[in-house]
Amino acid sequence: MAIPEYDVLIVGSGASGGMAAYTLTKRGLKCLLLEAGPSVDFAKQRVMKPVYELPYRGLGKPGKLPHVLQANEFNANQWVDEQQVPYTHDPKTPYNWVRVRMVGGKSLFWARMSFRLSDYEFKAKDHDGFGENWPISHADLAPFYSRVEPIFRVSGRKEGLAQLPDGDFIPDESPDSEATKTFAASAEKRGIPVTKIRRSLGKGAWASSFNLLLPDALTTGNLTIVPNAVAREISIDKVTGKVTGVHFIERGSRREMHAKAKAVVVGASCLESTRLLLNSKIANSSGVLGHYLCDQFYMNSSVVAIIPELKNGAGARGGGGYIPRFRNLRKDEKHNFIRGYALDFNTGGTPDPRYFGSWGEQLRKDLESVRGAAFSCTSMGEALPRYENKVTIDTSVVDAYGIPVLHVDCKYTDNEYNMAKDAVDTIGEVCHDAGWEVLNKNPKFYNPGYSIHEVGTCRMGDDPKKSVLNKWNQSHDIKNLFVVDGSSFVTAGSQNPTMTILSLSMRASEYLADEAQKGNV
Amino acid sequence: MNLKRRRFVQTLAVATPAIAAAQQPAPSPAGGPSQTGPGGRGGFGMMEDTTKIDVTPADAVARMVTKFFNPDQFAALEKLGAIFMPTMKGAPGAIDAQAPQFLDFLLSESLPDRQKIYRTGLDGLNSQAKERFHMAFAKLSEEQAVQLLEPLKKPWTYDAPSDPVEHFLRVAKQDIRTATTNSREYVMASGGSGGGGRRGGGGTGLYWLSLDQA
Repeated sequence: MAIPEYDVLIVGSGASGGMAAYTLTKRGLKCLLLEAGPSVDFAKQRVMKPVYELPYRGLGKPGKLPHVLQANEFNANQWVDEQQVPYTHDPKTPYNWVRVRMVGGKSLFWARMSFRLSDYEFKAKDHDGFGENWPISHADLAPFYSRVEPIFRVSGRKEGLAQLPDGDFIPDESPDSEATKTFAASAEKRGIPVTKIRRSLGKGAWASSFNLLLPDALTTGNLTIVPNAVAREISIDKVTGKVTGVHFIERGSRREMHAKAKAVVVGASCLESTRLLLNSKIANSSGVLGHYLCDQFYMNSSVVAIIPELKNGAGARGGGGYIPRFRNLRKDEKHNFIRGYALDFNTGGTPDPRYFGSWGEQLRKDLESVRGAAFSCTSMGEALPRYENKVTIDTSVVDAYGIPVLHVDCKYTDNEYNMAKDAVDTIGEVCHDAGWEVLNKNPKFYNPGYSIHEVGTCRMGDDPKKSVLNKWNQSHDIKNLFVVDGSSFVTAGSQNPTMTILSLSMRASEYLADEAQKGNV
Repeated sequence: MNLKRRRFVQTLAVATPAIAAAQQPAPSPAGGPSQTGPGGRGGFGMMEDTTKIDVTPADAVARMVTKFFNPDQFAALEKLGAIFMPTMKGAPGAIDAQAPQFLDFLLSESLPDRQKIYRTGLDGLNSQAKERFHMAFAKLSEEQAVQLLEPLKKPWTYDAPSDPVEHFLRVAKQDIRTATTNSREYVMASGGSGGGGRRGGGGTGLYWLSLDQA
């Protein structure tokens, strides 16, 4: 059988790889997409079970996924098994690396929060002097956000906020609940804006590359998807210095394979993409590959309060909203941290029993009285991109496919701790001013990585000495190599990253198609 | 195939066995399971029979045998279970749900740090009971026992309390609750809606099979 020749080999089928396939195939390029996991038949892969039939009554198999706090006993098998594909870290600085390997990647499971970054992020250095600016601004990416949002059917309300640019939304005209109005009025007195959640509605059960991008790409006839293909190393032509394809391991048989292409687009998820480049020993003349790992610190239930109007079965419906970054938007603000944080909140839930000092019948009564009356919020703050937060290859450990694993070295600093404290104190005061009873304030956040918003490690920039990629997500060193996922971010911002990943991937792919047409790659 | 359709096909097969029997078996791919092997017509892999037999789960006919806690620890855990989750409004309590026995099983498979929280905490509770009331925790009256649970009234913090008994009480209050509300007894009594697990779950959910064969 003749092996076809491909214009582009794409590694990864999630948001970034899926968007690359979508964009490149529409431009007529023949693409081969390698996905490390299977193509799942969801009807067969999942079965309905009552919780009591699970061996551990829903508490989960001890030690099964120690770093994946999102896992439960029902969905434990949807995540990458930490024994099969391990990674290492210093026990004193744990990192929660959460991974999915199947066609569609993590875009099958995301919370669908869909925000744009603003020039407070793209030009962050101009604002506070820390780190580097991105080589692009919101104006550069806006046309691509505007094309991505309709594909993902992002619902939202235009708010006119500089720190959270409006998008091309499906208008969210739902009325705010009374509780949300009360909260927003209290927040407004402190100059804190409250917006609608911006969320990808998608189509049917998903807002994923699996249903929104890959089917269209396949329809062009230009896409070949190979599941169960675990990329190990990108191959290089020693004479030209250009990439020639990818070595991969077939998951089931463990056979070593090599596929050829005229260009390679890596979208394997932030840390897997960087791992692939590091293991390939390429694209690192700057020496910054693997560095500047960042994300958002996350803490669920940062502030939990009781809304008196909803107590004792008042039955009013809850509602939620989003508090975009409001700190350090003016240069003359003085805080014990730079950058800022965002929160999402909901009302109408029931607080966790842990907040009550009672037990037995008294606890039952306590919970009954506040059923549906809780406010709770999740805080998510920008972790600064620091050179010392990095990933390297741990040559002493290989995964189930014989591929050397990552060592993650990442910790938060006072900037993040101070920001988290400011978040709970401020929102606690907003709740108090609203006449609500603050049940708990928690300024402690989960380990780095928990948010599954890891970005950086393969950052873009204009200076080839300080960045791995140029402003088109193209390697400074190798012009037919592109990295199109969150690893290319320069800063994390406080916004969820998926819309930006999708838009960057679309923009980079159009550029690649243009360059290919001109014969420049 | 979706569930509705599968049920329809099963019903059809049961109702009209003659049609199913008349169908020719699908051709087997080379190297595939034999259709005329020792399993008889159809072979093991190609069975079309839809006979269903009723079976009973082990919990309905037997009790769990404890193996992790020593008798003093287990007696204290049972006492705690009865206090934290008594039978309420007709819903089964921790003892009905065999929550202490389940936790003995869970802890037997848990990592050492979790095991230590439980063993140290239960031993500590027994020591405190002996110090203040001159008997084991399990023998205390409810009035006496709850005096030792006072630390639970402190506000919840993300960091675990430094006192090992306090830490244990916090963990046990949550685990006993989940082990009870996610039990067969509790879910059946509450009409199918469980209480939710430490990592989500509760009631009925979509269980992911292993991707190893996918």
